[in-house]
Amino acid sequence: MCASVKYNIRGPALIPRMKTKHRIYYITLFSIVLLGLIATGMFQFWPHSIESSGDWSVEKRSVRDVPVVRLPAESPIPERGDLSCRMHTCFDVYRCGFNPKNKIKVYIYSLKKYVDDAGVPVSNTISREYNELLTAISDSDYYTDDINRACLFVPSIDVLNQNTVRIKETAQALAQLSRWDRGTNHLLFNMLPGGPPDYNTALDVPRDRALLAGGGFSTWTYRQGYDVSIPVYSPLSAEVALPEKAPGARRYFLLSSQMSVHPEFREELEALQAKHGESVLVLDKCTNLSEGMLSVRRRCYQHQVFDYPQLLQEATFCVVLRGTRLGQAVLSDVLQAGCVPVVIADSYILPFSEVLDWKRASVVVPEEKMSDVYSILRSIPQRQIEEMQRQARWFWEAYFQSIKAIALATLQIINDRIYPYAAISYEEWNDPPAVKWASVSNPLFLPLIPPQSQGFTAIVLTYDRVESLFRVITEVSKVPSLSKLLVVWNNQNKNPPEESLWPKIRVPLKVVRTAENKLSNRFFPYDEIETEAVLAIDDDIIMLTSDELQFGYEVWREFPDRLVGYPGRLHLWDHEMNKWKYESEWTNEVSMVLTGAAFYHKYFNYLYTYKMPGDIKNWVDAHMNCEDIAMNFLVANVTGKAVIKVTPRKKFKCPECTAIDGLSLDQTHMVERSECINKFASVFGTMPLKVVEHRADPVLYKDDFPEKLKSFPNIGSL
Amino acid sequence: MQPCRKSLWLALSASWLLLILLGICPLFRLAVPPKPPPGHPQGWPHWLDAAFLSSFSQPGEPPEDAPQLPQAPRGSSCSWGTCFDTSKCRGNGLKVFVLPLASPTSEAPQRILASLETSGYHTPNTSEACLLLFLPSLDQRGVCQPLPPHWSAGKNHLVLSLHPALCTHRGQVMVAEASPSADIFRPGFDVALPLLPEDHPLQGGAPGQLQQHSPHSGAVWLAVAEERGGWRIAGIQDSACPWDEHCDLHPRPQQTQLGEMLPNATFCLIPGHRPATSHFLQALQAGCIPVLLSPRWELPFSEVIDWTKAAIIADERLPQQVLAALREMLPGRILTLRQQTQFLWNAYFSSVEKVIHTTLEIIQDRIWGASAHSSLLWNSPPGALLALPTFSMSPQDFPFYFLQQGSHPESRFSALIWVGALGQPPLKLIQAVAGSRHCAQILILWSSEKPLPDRWPKTTVPLTVIEGHRKASDRFFPYSTISTSAILSLDAHSTLSTSEVDFAFVVWQSFPERIVGFLTWNHSWDEARGGWSYSAKMANEFSMVLTTAAFYHRYYHTLFTHSLPKALRTLVDETPTCVDVLMNFLVAAVTKLPPIKVPCGRKHPEPAPLAPGGPGLGSETQPLGQDCINRMVAEFGHMPLVSSRVRLDPVLFKDPVSVQRKKYRSLEKP
Repeated sequence: MCASVKYNIRGPALIPRMKTKHRIYYITLFSIVLLGLIATGMFQFWPHSIESSGDWSVEKRSVRDVPVVRLPAESPIPERGDLSCRMHTCFDVYRCGFNPKNKIKVYIYSLKKYVDDAGVPVSNTISREYNELLTAISDSDYYTDDINRACLFVPSIDVLNQNTVRIKETAQALAQLSRWDRGTNHLLFNMLPGGPPDYNTALDVPRDRALLAGGGFSTWTYRQGYDVSIPVYSPLSAEVALPEKAPGARRYFLLSSQMSVHPEFREELEALQAKHGESVLVLDKCTNLSEGMLSVRRRCYQHQVFDYPQLLQEATFCVVLRGTRLGQAVLSDVLQAGCVPVVIADSYILPFSEVLDWKRASVVVPEEKMSDVYSILRSIPQRQIEEMQRQARWFWEAYFQSIKAIALATLQIINDRIYPYAAISYEEWNDPPAVKWASVSNPLFLPLIPPQSQGFTAIVLTYDRVESLFRVITEVSKVPSLSKLLVVWNNQNKNPPEESLWPKIRVPLKVVRTAENKLSNRFFPYDEIETEAVLAIDDDIIMLTSDELQFGYEVWREFPDRLVGYPGRLHLWDHEMNKWKYESEWTNEVSMVLTGAAFYHKYFNYLYTYKMPGDIKNWVDAHMNCEDIAMNFLVANVTGKAVIKVTPRKKFKCPECTAIDGLSLDQTHMVERSECINKFASVFGTMPLKVVEHRADPVLYKDDFPEKLKSFPNIGSL
Repeated sequence: MQPCRKSLWLALSASWLLLILLGICPLFRLAVPPKPPPGHPQGWPHWLDAAFLSSFSQPGEPPEDAPQLPQAPRGSSCSWGTCFDTSKCRGNGLKVFVLPLASPTSEAPQRILASLETSGYHTPNTSEACLLLFLPSLDQRGVCQPLPPHWSAGKNHLVLSLHPALCTHRGQVMVAEASPSADIFRPGFDVALPLLPEDHPLQGGAPGQLQQHSPHSGAVWLAVAEERGGWRIAGIQDSACPWDEHCDLHPRPQQTQLGEMLPNATFCLIPGHRPATSHFLQALQAGCIPVLLSPRWELPFSEVIDWTKAAIIADERLPQQVLAALREMLPGRILTLRQQTQFLWNAYFSSVEKVIHTTLEIIQDRIWGASAHSSLLWNSPPGALLALPTFSMSPQDFPFYFLQQGSHPESRFSALIWVGALGQPPLKLIQAVAGSRHCAQILILWSSEKPLPDRWPKTTVPLTVIEGHRKASDRFFPYSTISTSAILSLDAHSTLSTSEVDFAFVVWQSFPERIVGFLTWNHSWDEARGGWSYSAKMANEFSMVLTTAAFYHRYYHTLFTHSLPKALRTLVDETPTCVDVLMNFLVAAVTKLPPIKVPCGRKHPEPAPLAPGGPGLGSETQPLGQDCINRMVAEFGHMPLVSSRVRLDPVLFKDPVSVQRKKYRSLEKP
């Protein structure tokens, strides 16, 4: 048995010993097995392509082949829209349940073709834009194909343009949707509402409680906080690429480019043109166009022909008048051209007005003030106009330029209503990327001076220098405002000294043992830190007097959003090497303080531990260096402010000061520190450090004044 | 051989088993119709003929040749464009006429009236007014007052009721009322006011109670507003909805009644659709983040205040989710929300006067249209009442928004030298200042009785002479000739070296919203006299910087001239020595921070009096005009000054290094 197993392992060696009959038999058997194995292997890879080709056949269908649904004439019609609907009355928020990502789930009904009893279609099955819109939703994170998990339902019945649908039958089609339930949590998209003769400003299709994302709402039809006002998409956005034009004065000050303008409005506009001459241009549609020219893309003034929408880039302000409908696609064209829209449409709810600050990108003029338009616009300073031009273009890029942008902005608005605590801020909606990038929002922006009574927590990072540590503890404990002392014991191989051996001090002393010897342990937001102010101090900083430390705390109170430290350092641009250089000489400037002795707000510990950009935190831990430079970068980046160096220069015991150990060591250290600055600057993508020429001293420092009357006499002694 | 064959069979069957195991899965997969793998939703189909679909709108459609004429406002719906006539407001800006009170029985409207009269909005002339303010009140019988004669359908009228409106007049009249119901509120037309307690202070008001940025480690996590008023504390571990009586059958021991006290908690949960009490304002003042559950009322000043930055508005139907969201909220967000509550409280809510001014400012913004306050000005310190859009439309021009705008203060300053009554041309000073590489221009404000000298020293920078009116408030007039943001305010008697000027200016660039100066005063509470006093003695602290040699932002001239009450400007014209105090009050009230002191090199000579009988600086005597500080405190409603114990020196100031290495050497000369 054992031998045969061995033989078996040897494989072919066995074969010659067998009889021929057996040999053929076995060879056949082995071939079959081998073939089988190969086939299996093939199957393992094959099926994917088989499946995807199956998908292919399922997805790539024609719109004409969708199932037909016959609507009986007497099938129910939903109630008309309920004007009193608000999110808390008409929206079933329970369906949105709890979602850890705070994101609503949207379900799209599959496409059907609805016909009435006579077999006449209710509407065009789907328009290009509505197909794009549903594709955009389907491709987004909002989409779910599980109807039971959905919080919002989007019918595939296309009501973008009311004129293409039969109102009653469309309503019947809506009512028979499987989760209709009076339209609760259903979202309809409509850009062209109303029809002749009175052109309602909202979709006329009875829709009960359904939310309406509509273009062209007026204050009377818009349900504030429930409906969403959306733009009327301009197909020109996709057709014509208008590159962004730098803001500034343009050839025409005011331009009217709409083709059908009410005669009364046109009269007013022409009066403006007559009064202000060249700077105002009022265009009309062209009547004398030759064959083959697209009338949509041309505008005329007398016999001059202009290209539209390119012409819009020649104007500073562009009139957007209401026509039969309040919402006009020209608004989108105007924004694309970076022309500031002058909206003259009383009671019009501007697109996405719930979140967009239109004051920054447009001028709204009441219809009865139309004759004053010119003087109103002239009173706007040039700098503000340029700001508005930039803003207009940014609105177009972010929220108007494609059906996808419109759909996603609409869903984001609804999402923000349902999860308001995770909502997108005003700045995120409205600030152009350049502003977002440059602006700093200081996390401690409120100007206040924390009470002195709070005191500070001293954190001493130590490894094994017990004697020196005890001296630091004794010295620091003399500072009146110290409220707690925390020793971070970073040595895993050695236990901290017994409790009885520690110096007896008047404030609580706590020892935290760490799991790993890492520099970032110094900046961990320990629960033991109960004060806002933290003093980070090395276990060898024994030269600071009690007055100096107390004064440092006082300075921190006046500048609680800054790093307030003792030894200062500077970064310099090395023109020869073309990179940053670390400087510890006696310079007139400061851009960093060492955290071997520095006060700062405890929130920065949280930021250092959890919000440090890139791999800086791990990098510092791996290199066992530059944690202080990293902290300086972090604080300067988040607050936009410089450090404060306190009190005169002293001889500090720190690596770069002990030149006695040999110049080479010192130089290596400087090179390493310079490397850190360059590394961090590249991770932050900018140089956040700020250079200042001042330091903080007590008011009467070195002044001719009796020493004993000074609050902090013992400062600067060597 | 037999055992060999057996083992071969064994090996074969093993191979077959392997084959079947490997093969069966794909075979199964083939047998079952293909189903999308979980986690990969099928999505909206990609139509084969998607490219051939027609557009939703065809060119030329709809027929646009017959647009409607403007629609008349239907029903009670009014909007700014349709129901307010701005033509009356042009030129003068917003001028308010207060309709006479029919029954002067209650005190509150009288006080509001008095406060309005001192503001810049008031006009005693109906024809000049563009807004007619009506303060409704109940007469003794509890019946609404009849409408005043000017009414005319209420156009351009504002009904302002600080308490929930009892007498509702709608139609074309704008209504500013406390916590209006969201159903009747007309956005962009009506104004939502906060629900003020009866004893809300008229002026000044208590500052916010937040003393530190981050929540105190011992602070309660959540306080819940009680229906009767007062607050109840809920623990973080309460999984049951803490505001619902039904799921809270077993009250925990730590849940204590707080009574009327203001909560020291991180979050303040305010249930209920209607605000019954002033819980919302209480939370705001306490720096406790208000969590509102499905409020059916409009939040105060919601037209301009971005409440998402200071409060959480959530759906009452999702209690677990709200609690979980609060618990998981990142510390950074909590920090910003808390600080914003304090800023909003201090800027718009702490006094009745502020509430009324904010209301009028909102209406003024509507009139101004494009040149109104931007959202940034409303929603970041110091707030829209202190950031005047008349100064500039660009936030970069103000001293407050450099960080948000990602910009820096410019690197040049204008020196403004005041030559007082008996002054001589300050030739030495001009040379010293002109020597600074940061100096852009020198302006001489000639307020002397002596004739103007014919010749001025030759300087590298332009020198302009402005003739003053010999009033102290002239010094802080926003002269259009000032071309830089930074002003170095000087007195003809000041002695400064170029090096001092340079250093002070470099420091100012780090603190563009504060006054940076050399000589300081300190204020203190005088027990004996029962009032405030100030002193020029050398001390360990200071709270004021003398404007006889100080850098500050040009914007403070605009604020000084256009926003301070007239009474205060008259006061300093009468008592010129008070002008320094007033400027320091103004800047401290705006920034809530102390000024910055920088060292002066040699001992300044006996300081120059601002005017005959001015204060002796550095001398033992008390500065004159001690009384003005108390009058200003009364006018401001509180003491805005903040003390500092810090002086900013050059980095190597008096350090034991070679003088050659120091940039600001002359500062160290004894």
